[in-house]
Amino acid sequence: MSVVQNNSEKNKWYLVGILGGMGITMRHLLKNLFNKKQMETLNYPEEKYEYSPRFKGNHVLTVKKDGALRCTACMLCATNCPAECIKITAAEHSDPRVEKYPISYEIDILRCVFCGFCEEACPVDAIRMGPEWQTPGVNGTNFIYDINKLAYRPNLKGGIQTHVDDEERHKSGI
Amino acid sequence: MPKCTINGKEVEVKAGSTIIEAMYQEKESIAHYCYHPGLSVAGVCRLCMVEIEGNPRVQIACNTVVTEGMKVNNTSAKVKDAVKWGLDFHLINHPLDCPICDQAGECGLQDQYMEFGKYDPEMAERKQKKHKVVDLGPTVVLDSERCILCSRCVRFTDEVSKTHELGLFNRGDRTEIGTVEGKQLDNKYSLNTVDICPVGALTSKDFRFRQRVWYLKDAETICPGCSTGCSTKVYFNKEGMFRVKPVYNESVNGHWMCDEGRATYKFINREHRLLKAKKGKSGQWSEVAPGAAAKELSGILKGTNADSLGLVLTAQYSVEEYEAIVSTFVNTFKSKKVFFWVNNKESFESFDGLLLRGDKNPNTKGLLKILDKYGLTATWGDLKSGIEKGELKTLVVAGPENQAVFPDLGEKITELSKVPKLIWLQAGKNEQLEALTGDVTLIPLKTYVEKDGTFVNHQGLEQKFKRVTTVVSEALTLDQAAQLMSGQEIKITTADTFIESNRRPDEVMLEHRKKNEFVFKRGTL
Ligand code: SF4
Ligand code: SF4
Ligand code: SF4
Ligand code: SF4
Ligand code: FES
Repeated sequence: MSVVQNNSEKNKWYLVGILGGMGITMRHLLKNLFNKKQMETLNYPEEKYEYSPRFKGNHVLTVKKDGALRCTACMLCATNCPAECIKITAAEHSDPRVEKYPISYEIDILRCVFCGFCEEACPVDAIRMGPEWQTPGVNGTNFIYDINKLAYRPNLKGGIQTHVDDEERHKSGI
Repeated sequence: MPKCTINGKEVEVKAGSTIIEAMYQEKESIAHYCYHPGLSVAGVCRLCMVEIEGNPRVQIACNTVVTEGMKVNNTSAKVKDAVKWGLDFHLINHPLDCPICDQAGECGLQDQYMEFGKYDPEMAERKQKKHKVVDLGPTVVLDSERCILCSRCVRFTDEVSKTHELGLFNRGDRTEIGTVEGKQLDNKYSLNTVDICPVGALTSKDFRFRQRVWYLKDAETICPGCSTGCSTKVYFNKEGMFRVKPVYNESVNGHWMCDEGRATYKFINREHRLLKAKKGKSGQWSEVAPGAAAKELSGILKGTNADSLGLVLTAQYSVEEYEAIVSTFVNTFKSKKVFFWVNNKESFESFDGLLLRGDKNPNTKGLLKILDKYGLTATWGDLKSGIEKGELKTLVVAGPENQAVFPDLGEKITELSKVPKLIWLQAGKNEQLEALTGDVTLIPLKTYVEKDGTFVNHQGLEQKFKRVTTVVSEALTLDQAAQLMSGQEIKITTADTFIESNRRPDEVMLEHRKKNEFVFKRGTL
């Protein structure tokens, strides 16, 4: 690396620069000390930041009105996923109106890059990226999320309902 | 021989051929659903439109005979427009449930839509609802909503299988495909209807929902199901084999194959395979590497008296393999006791008039040729008396690869296991073999998709096939086993499992990937 040595007279005034910087630091310190409400930083983890609902965090599999999975096991999300972390096993449903459904749906969340491509690919609004982002785990935590976790984890309170309803579509003759 | 011009190209065709045949001959692409080269012409889909010079309207190519000097094109804006609106009519009542449709990825509607359609539908009416998931028979499921009424399947059962199970019922937009009252689509060729169905209306129960087609690679091979030796394509990915489809071969199978042959992918999959060589003595089994086991045998076999050593061959292996093992026995071990295990003897000569033959081996002719070449004439009777008299002490058996077509397998195992030392080479697992209590060595072999070779079919036609992939990389081919048993050193390259042989030179390989094979190599329509 070539280092340009600048030995001009100007360099001798560095002390002024440093003092200026310290001044700014001091100003912020005093401002925060006397006006705590406007402080920018949070006391994580006691205080948590609320992201917008559009934040792309952990996946949610939506459910139909009867609580069953909306997913049709079309594998478009798995095909579109650049990290290839979605694994679906399809099966034949006993109800001919459903026809195909996933018997297993797994996302390897450690490989997921949270790009949201799965959400984009899904034709029936079956997978969404939720606002949840804190999912740490200790050794032995299962980071391969299955249907139970993706659709029915406790904080989803029985599942998120999908917008695309087959019954309604059939009734309107689409 | 009339001459015509197709898309500006001067073409000479056979007298009486239609425009679509001329297009096929020139490898010009043309949209079509109802025309199939193996069936009669129906002319119902109205998609194969072409413009003929001097003719004010577009015509269908599948039912217009080429005449001298005809000038045809299917690239003009007029034709494109006609196809586009033809397609719109096909899609009026189509459910477009591609996400759950097994045909998605290889669907005629999707393909033609990408080529000619790309319009916004202008139908405001409700769609006509029809039956979904109709069980047509033991092999096929019908979704009438997806059916475009091309009548290919009906014509197939009328003209090829001649079983007449399918028909078109009702009129107008309520028309549906169905089986004739009280009948099921149940014949030995029923799955061909699934192949020729251009949409996802007919789906195979065996393959339904098991894979999306874009995750499958394919490669051509020869069906080992019977002595007809149909040209086939196997579809697979790293999870295993999933289906078999016919490939057009004029001199053997035409466009079709039987349902039995479609099951020949099953015994290839790992769960049915013998993965390691097994050595058993009085019911105690130990596992060894197949190569090592065969090598170890070389010493034992060479030390055996030639009179007490026999070889039993089934007609399920390639000519090259027979050559290797028979020459090892005749030249190295000096034994002439080579026996031909004939399965289903009664039906050996039978033929159902279309493809299926009673001889359920791909290479009976090939084996007989090799036996003839070495002047081997030992019969099964000799083997029986040899075992009974105790003359035969060591027996090497190249067992069946497709165990399903050996109804006498259990019986034969009991019979052959009477010898003091049994060496059984076979690709698949077999419970009865693993329950033997004598001195037995089981060596895993490779299946027909894992090796190059030649099958000689019933007509005496030599058909070469190439390695498709490797499923059990440690398993030996019969010629490798022969070389090892004769004491030769060979280099066994254990290929990685499921690496395809038809890989593109610039293809990026990621082992864990389930690639979108279909989009990858489809190219043009
Ligand atoms: S967010 Fe992206 S990486 Fe994660 S599962 Fe979806 S498609 Fe795959
Ligand atoms: S989540 Fe959506 S895209 Fe993925 S398999 Fe299910 S229906 Fe298809
Ligand atoms: S037949 Fe073709 S267009 Fe129709 S639902 Fe199936 S894949 Fe889609
Ligand atoms: S089921 Fe398939 S092959 Fe038969 S008429 Fe309908 S679209 Fe054609
Ligand atoms: S292919 Fe000509 S009308 Fe169908």
